[in-house]
Formats: sequence, structure tokens, C-alpha cells
Amino acid sequence: MSLGVGAVEAPTGPIGRVLGRSVSSGAVAAVLVPVVAAVAALAVGAVLIGLTTGDPIGVYADVIDGIFFAPRGLSDTATTATPILLIALGYAFAYRARVFTIGAEGHYLVGMVASVGLITSGLLRDLPGPLLIVVGLLAGAAAGAAWSALSGVLFVRFGASVVISSLMLVYIAEAVLQWANRVGIRDPESFVPASRSVGAATLPIVPGLDVHLGFLIAVAIVPVMAWVFARHRLGYRVRALGDNPEALDANDVPAGRIVIAVLLVSGALAGLAGFIEIAGVNGRINDSASLGYGFTAIVVALVGRLNPVGVLVAALALGALDIGFEVAARSSDLPTSMAGLIQVLVVVFVVGGDALVERFHGTGAR
Amino acid sequence: MEPSEERGAIAVEMTAIRRDFGSVTALGGVDATFRRGEIHAVLGANGAGKTTLMRILAGLDRPDDGDVRIDGSSVTTFDPGLARDLGIALVQQHFTLVPTLTAGENLVLARPLGRLRPDRRAVRERLADLVDRFGLDVRGDVGAGELSVGEQQRLELLRALDADAEVLVLDEPTAVLTDTEADQLLAVCRDLADDGRSVVIITHRLGEVFSGCDRVSVLRAGEAVMTDVPVGETTRASLATAMIGSDATGTFSDRDRTPAEVPNGAPARARLVVTGLSSGQLDGIGLEVAAGEILGVAGVDGNGQSDLEAVLCGRIAPMAGGVEIDGVPLDVGNPGSSASAGIAYIPSDRYRHGLVRAMDLSENLELGRTRRIRRPRRQRHLAAAERLDDWNVRSAGPAARAASLSGGNAQKLVLARELDHEPGVVIACYPTRGLDPSAASSVADRLIDRAASGAAVLWIGAELDELFAVSDRIVVLSRGHIAGEFVPEFDRHAVGLAMTDWRVASSSAAGASG
Repeated sequence: MSLGVGAVEAPTGPIGRVLGRSVSSGAVAAVLVPVVAAVAALAVGAVLIGLTTGDPIGVYADVIDGIFFAPRGLSDTATTATPILLIALGYAFAYRARVFTIGAEGHYLVGMVASVGLITSGLLRDLPGPLLIVVGLLAGAAAGAAWSALSGVLFVRFGASVVISSLMLVYIAEAVLQWANRVGIRDPESFVPASRSVGAATLPIVPGLDVHLGFLIAVAIVPVMAWVFARHRLGYRVRALGDNPEALDANDVPAGRIVIAVLLVSGALAGLAGFIEIAGVNGRINDSASLGYGFTAIVVALVGRLNPVGVLVAALALGALDIGFEVAARSSDLPTSMAGLIQVLVVVFVVGGDALVERFHGTGAR
Repeated sequence: MEPSEERGAIAVEMTAIRRDFGSVTALGGVDATFRRGEIHAVLGANGAGKTTLMRILAGLDRPDDGDVRIDGSSVTTFDPGLARDLGIALVQQHFTLVPTLTAGENLVLARPLGRLRPDRRAVRERLADLVDRFGLDVRGDVGAGELSVGEQQRLELLRALDADAEVLVLDEPTAVLTDTEADQLLAVCRDLADDGRSVVIITHRLGEVFSGCDRVSVLRAGEAVMTDVPVGETTRASLATAMIGSDATGTFSDRDRTPAEVPNGAPARARLVVTGLSSGQLDGIGLEVAAGEILGVAGVDGNGQSDLEAVLCGRIAPMAGGVEIDGVPLDVGNPGSSASAGIAYIPSDRYRHGLVRAMDLSENLELGRTRRIRRPRRQRHLAAAERLDDWNVRSAGPAARAASLSGGNAQKLVLARELDHEPGVVIACYPTRGLDPSAASSVADRLIDRAASGAAVLWIGAELDELFAVSDRIVVLSRGHIAGEFVPEFDRHAVGLAMTDWRVASSSAAGASG
């Protein structure tokens, strides 16, 4: 779990010296490794395509075409990236503090069920759309945060591992989803288990951009989080917790409090993603609402180096890869799993690259 | 030393043992002799070299020079396995049990009898056998981590005896025990000695020497001050003097203590008041530090200093008792409130509790005092650069990481954070530890300076010379009690006695201050 974090913290080394003292080689490696890893993954992917269907260049041309020139390529990319971006920002926040939650899938589902349940209830559903959207956003964030805070309480009170408890809570959240679709918030007129439609709370399409409002919300959080890290006390405490919890404990605030704060933030962002995905894309919740975004986002947070801007780039790249290969698969007999394979290869190469950089630094320093 | 009858025959003879760690001499040519059938106390203050000497005997370290003879034959290879085969067993100060394994499994781990893991019954029997033979009771059905400290100690002892130790070395065995447990342990040691073994107890408690030991050696600063002297030929006073020394050799010149240091000539008011504080080792202690005063807290390490530090900085809420700052009760257990109550905290372990190494210097200057909305980086760095300059922190600038600082500069960084804004109370824990003399005296000057401007300074220290030089008053902490209170001119001898045995000293201190 230390991947990504290690390279960010690396001291000034040989690369930095070549480029001038102001840029630490750690910072250079943090950007360089994912880029090189992506190129290498695409290269290996080309070989694999060559071995199966024959024409890697043609396939990649289709991929690029699908992303940049197909009618909805860019907007689909943005739409796909939205929930992953939100969840990955939450992970980045938590991982900076070295609080290794992996349960955002659960926060996402609970936020989704709670917010959609609330705005489709008889009590609220006749309210005007914009108000419903605000209520839905807040409810999603609150429910996700509460679900996530459970791990925090278990950790602070009983010392239970956040990794384990957050993962276990995902399974409970999946059961909650099943129950909600069948009993809790079921649409009585639907034949398959599903919630009512969000109706008036559907997120509007942003004029001129051809994506729903949720994408803008997610992107707007990027500079906010960067600002929190640079200028707000919470961001400072999060980083101090990650680097030396004992110093925080002895001088500032009890570390457990910040652990819970961090889990609240990451849970809120995932819960927000849950509402946005339904209100922006699907319209109603059904049993296939759990697509594993909560796990994909771990990769995005790490490849994005736990840096908000880096996470934005990584989420968009991942969305683009998905859309591009989907288009390419339509025009050839390319296996649809190719996009996933390349994503996994990127991760493998980033991890390997980090290990190499660390070793390179180690020998360079001595 | 003359060889004599079997009881009293020399088991171990160490001659002119020398050990240097870099430029620090841990042992500068020490002689030691341990005899069969006797309990031998090795006394010394912190850093006197006791543990190093015993590690050499147990083969965990090698001497740079000198000769070790076990049963008359010279040891040339220093290896723990070899030492064990020669019958030497060391019970270290910090337990080395595997907490998740049971007592019996720990025995098997230390000395496997075969290639295969023995079955449970064999493991249980092996433990039961030892427990019977030596009368040391240890539960065999729970993990070693769940055993009481006394039981863990007995298990360590059994593990040593399991290897048929002829020479048993116990490094500060009573430091973690209650008085009753300590008495029991000494009784067990007596039985072991009566069987013809040689028992060596490292300690700094004089009471134990007189209640349970036959002979005593005293180390001070890597030199043997007393070697192999029968306990009957010593007194508490002579041992305390041997341990602490009588010559002041400090690098500090005495500060001028004038009552006029209190601003405006107002009567000194108590700024820090601690009442009935119990936490960890601390057993209902009370302290008062007045404005302008430096109160030195002397004592051998591990007598409650770390508990006092943890409570005062807000890291741990005490079991009982309270702390008042300028008459206002402190919200104990909350580090933020300690900082906002005006307590400056200089931790004993500056890297663990004082600094965030991966953060830069300007950010470290904010720790505990961050504004909700922080200033832009450029402004922070400008302000930090000035402050680093003021406090003479030599560094590559405010953007350098704290990890890049040397020990002395790291300490100055902590001072720059804690002392820059006129604190009301300063908790300084071993503030000069690990610093070279010039850095140490500049740190001391800064603290004296804060006292002069009205702060109450609590200085927890290890070196008496230093405490004598800076303190207006000294209390001695021993086994979690205040074992004595002293005012200048400090009586080195009486302070030393209080450090080594609180029950005796508290009566003599009462006489001294009364």
C-alpha cells in the first residue's frame, strides 16, 4: 500500500540535480513513472493485440478515433470518469494520512441508496428538481461519510484495522443495496428489483459541454482539495498524521480525531459519487449498480500520486481508455477485456517503476 | 583475585575491557569478577556502561580490548550461542519473548530440542518441569503477551535456566516489578546462588544491594569505581558517592540566581501546579513551579519521567490528579489545549514527538499552532526564514525537510517553535540530550532566558551537573514518587541518595530541607 506514497516523498536525487535544484527528483519521478508506465502498458497491449487479432495499429487508431473524434467520445469519457474521480479524490485524501481505507464501494452504494431513497420518497418527490438535487447531494455525502466513519470508530475505539473493516462494510453495503431494491425503496410498478426514478432530480446537461452537472462538481473539488492541502489546517494535519502520528498526538490533536475526519471526507466523496451516478446517468438504482468503481478508484488515486490534479488526469485517462476500447471493440473482434488488461498493466508498471526509482535513489544517496 | 573454596570460586573474570562506540567510550578498561554461589550487584547511573559490559559477557558485543575468562579459559570468539554453551545467560532489560506464543513455546523457540516442532504435551511438560524445579510460577496456557510483567520476567529467567546457565546476568530486573515481586525475585536469586550458580544483578537501587547481594561493583562513566567489594564493607553513602561521583565536571557554569528575576519584583506566583498526579508509574505526585523559576527534575531514567512528560504535553490523560496553569485547570489528555494554555513542550525524543521529518521546516514551525486558514507558502517561508535565523538553526532554508537537520539544529528548530512566543510554562525533557557542549549550552541559555522573562520552567534531566547549574530548585523522582526536594547549594550526595532509594532519602531529605 505504500506505492505512490514512497516516490512522492523521495528526497532530491540525481534526476533533480540534472534538472536544477528547485525540482526534486522525487517530484519528477512522480510524474514520469506513470507516463512511462502507460506507454509501456500500451506497448505490451499492442503485442498482445498482434498475437490475437493481428493489427495493433489499426486497433489503436480506432481507440484514438473513439476517444477524440467519435460523436460522444469526449463526453462519454468525462461521464465515465466522474464517479471514479470523486471516489479517487477521497482515497487520495485518506492515503495522504496513511489511513488505508479500501471501502469506497460501500460508501458509494450506501450514499446512493440513502439519497435516492430520500428524494424518491412520498415526502419529498414532489419538490422542485433543483432542491431535490441539493438534498440528494447532501444526503449522499452524509450517508457515505457515516458509513465510512464506522471504520474510524472501530479503529479508534477498538484498534480494528481500517483496511479490514472498510472492506467488510462493502459486503454489508451490497446487502443493503439488494434489500433496498427489493423492499426498502422499491418502485412498486417495476417488474425487476429497482428503485423509483429520480425524476425531476435528474442532473441537467451542462450547456455546451454535453456532460451532466456531476462532472463539473467532481472537477470543482480538485482545486478545493489542492487548496485544503496547501492552505487549510485540516490538510496540514492530514499530512502530519501520515508522516508522524505521534508528533501530531504530542503537539496538536489526538491522532484518532484526524483519522475519523479523514474517513468522513473520503466517505462523503464516495457517497456523493453514488448520488451523482444515479441522478446523472442511470436514473434509477438496480441490482447492477455495484460496478466496482470503489476498487478501480484505488488504482486511480495511486497512479495519480495522491495529488488532486494527478488524480484528475488519471481518472480521465482511465475513462478514455474504457471508452476508446469500447468503440474499437465494436469494429473488430477485439476482446472487450483489453481495456481492463491495459489498466492492470499500467498499475504493474507503476509499482515496478516506483521500486526501480527507490532503488536508484537508495544507491545514489550512498 | 585469589581462588578460594568452591563457594566464592571465580566463575568470570573480565580484565581491562574497553569498548568505544565511535568517539564515545562506553567502557574504558573495566575489570570485573563474578564468583560462584554469590549474588553480585553491578551498580551505576545511566550510561555508566553496565549494560555494555554484560552484553560483552553474553557474547552480544565484542570488546575492543581486554580479556574475558570464563572458568579460567580465555574467550576469543564473542558469539551469543557460544556464550550460552559456556553457561552464560543474560536476561535483558527489555523482554525478548514472542508475545503470541505460550510460555512453553517460547522455551522451545529459544532452545529447540529437535528439528520438528514438539507436540503440545511435550511443550507443557517441559515448562511444568522447569516451574517445579525452580519454583517460578508461570502460566502456560496463554500467550506470553498476556502474562503479567512479573510473570514475563520469571519466564525470561526460566528460559535462561533451561539452558543450564551457570552465570545468570539480570539487567535491571526489578525496574518493572512491584516491591513484593522484587523481593520474591531476590529470594529466587538466592536459591540459585546457593545451588552454586553465579548471579549478577545490574541495578541502581541501593536497597537491593543491601537486602540481597553479597558483593558489589560500581561503574561510573565507563570506569570501574569499585570492583568486587563485599557488601558488608560498604555503606549506602559510599555506594551513592561512588555512583554519582563527588566532583562537578559540568560544561555549564552556574547561572546567577537572583530573586530579582521575577518581573516587577512581584512575589513569585505558581504558574504550573500539579496535584495528586497518578499515571503509569507516577503515584500521586505534586509539584509547583513559580514564575521565573527553573525546577529541575532529577532521577534515574524510567522512574516516571516519561509519564510526567506524556501527561503535561497532553498526550495521555492521567488516572488521577490534575494540572493547573496560572490557576486554570488544564484539559488534560488534549495536546491542543496544552499548547493553547501556553505550555511550550520540548520532548525527550525530538524526532518521535517533536518533528514531522517529511515536512519542511516552515511547516514544522507550525506544528500544534496552525492557523485554520494558513498563509500562502511564500509568506510562510519568509516568516520561517527569519525565525530560523533568530534561533540560529543552520539549514538549507525553510523548504528543507526536517529530516535533513543535525541533532542540535533539530532541537533548535523545536525551541524556535515552542519558545518564540513567550510561553507561560516550559516543559523541557532532556533538552540537551545528544547535543555537543556548545549546542547544549546555547539550548540551556534559551531556557534560562525564558525563565528570566517570567516563564515557569520544568526541566527533566539526567545529568546532575547540568541540573545543579540551571535549577533554582530540584526534586528527585524515584519509583514514581517525589523522593526529595533540594535547594542550592545542592548536596550532590543527598541528591544521589534520593535517586537510588526513595524511602531512605525522603526521610533524610526532610531533615535536609527542614
